[in-house]
Amino acid sequence: MNGKDDRKFDDDLLERAAKLAAPVAPERDLWPGIEQAITVPRKPRRSAWNGAWAQAAAVILLVGGSSGLTYLTMSGARNAVVPTAAEAPVLVFEQASANFGSQYTLGPDFQDARSDLVEKFEQRIENLSPEARVEVLANIETIRKAIDDINRALSREPDNVLLQELLINTYRDELSMMIEVDGITGAAMRRGDI
Amino acid sequence: MQAVLPSSTGVIDGGVVALAADTTFDELRWVRRAQQADSSAFEKLYRANVDRVYGLCLRMTGNRSEAEDCTQDAFIQAWNSLDKFRGDSAFGTWMHRVAVNVVLGRMRKSRREQDRIRAVSEVAPVRQTIADDGELRDLEGAINELPSGARHVFVLHAVYGYSHGETGDMLGIAEGTSKAQLNRARRLLKQQLEAEEK
Repeated sequence: MNGKDDRKFDDDLLERAAKLAAPVAPERDLWPGIEQAITVPRKPRRSAWNGAWAQAAAVILLVGGSSGLTYLTMSGARNAVVPTAAEAPVLVFEQASANFGSQYTLGPDFQDARSDLVEKFEQRIENLSPEARVEVLANIETIRKAIDDINRALSREPDNVLLQELLINTYRDELSMMIEVDGITGAAMRRGDI
Repeated sequence: MQAVLPSSTGVIDGGVVALAADTTFDELRWVRRAQQADSSAFEKLYRANVDRVYGLCLRMTGNRSEAEDCTQDAFIQAWNSLDKFRGDSAFGTWMHRVAVNVVLGRMRKSRREQDRIRAVSEVAPVRQTIADDGELRDLEGAINELPSGARHVFVLHAVYGYSHGETGDMLGIAEGTSKAQLNRARRLLKQQLEAEEK
C-alpha cells in the first residue's frame, strides 16, 4: 500500500469515525439513580470554625476577666469596705456545670470547695463598694459565660486538650476571683480534682 | 422549542450573561436553577444531554453497563461541582469533560482491580458494538480492541472532533503524545480492518 492509499484510508477512517459521534440513548433510564444520589441529604460538614471560635471567644473573655480581677484587686485595696444598699444586679449563683466536656465531671472535692467558696463570696460581696461590686459581678459573669462556652465546645470536641486546659484555667480564674473577694487563700484547683 | 444561539448575550434572572456557542437560554436557565439545588432543573439538563454523555462513555469504555455507570457518575459529579461551571463553554461541552474524567478515573480503578483478578485468571473485557451499519460496526469493534490510550485519543479526536490540544488536556497527556497515540490507533485499526476483510 502506497502513500496515496494510506491517505485514502485515513480520510475514509476519519469520515466513518465522525459518524460514530451520534448520540446514543442508554437502554434504561439512569435518572432515578442519579436523583437518589443527589437528593440524599448531605452530611453536614463539621466545621472546625465553631470550635476555634469558641476557643477564641473564651480566651477573649478570660483576658477580660483577668483584667477585671486585676483592676478589682488593685482598686479593692484602696477602697474602704463600706456596706451599702444593693444597687448592683442580683447575682444568681448556679451550681457550676458538672460537665467537663462530655467525658469528664468535676471531682466531688472540687465541688465541695467551690460551694463553700461561693457561699462565702455571696456574703462578702455585699461588703464591697457599689462600683467594686458591679465590677466583680460583671467579671464573674464573664468568666462563667466563658466556662459555659468552653463546656459547649468540649461537648463537641471532648478530646481537645487545649479546651480542657482552658476550662481548668477558667475555673481557676473563677476561684481566684472569689478568693480575692473573700480574702481566702489556698483551695486551688488542680487537674487531679477532675 | 429551544433556540440554539450563537455566542452572544442574554438576560437570565435579571442579569446579562454571555452565552457560549450551542448554549440555549433554557439550558442556561436550568443551570442557574440547578446551581441553586433545584434537582428538577438538573433533570432537564440530564434529559437534554444524557444521550451525548452516554455515547461518549460507551465509545470510551466499549461496555454498556460500564458506560451506564460512568454516565450516572458523571451527572452526579456534575451536580456536585455545578458551582464551578461558569458558562464559558456550553454545558454539553463541560459535561463531556466531566464524563471523560469519570471514565478515566473508573478505568484507573478497574485496571488496578483487573490486575488483581488477572493474577488469578485471565479475564478479557466484554466488548459490545452499537452501530447498525455493517462498516461502522466493524470500525466500532476495531476501536474497542485498541489499547486504552490509543482508543481514548481516537474517540476524542477522530470521533468527537476535539483538537489534539483539547484531547491532551482532557486526558492529561501532552499534545504530541495525543498525536502519537492517534497514529498508533490508525495503524492498529488499519491492520485490524484489513485482517477482517481477508
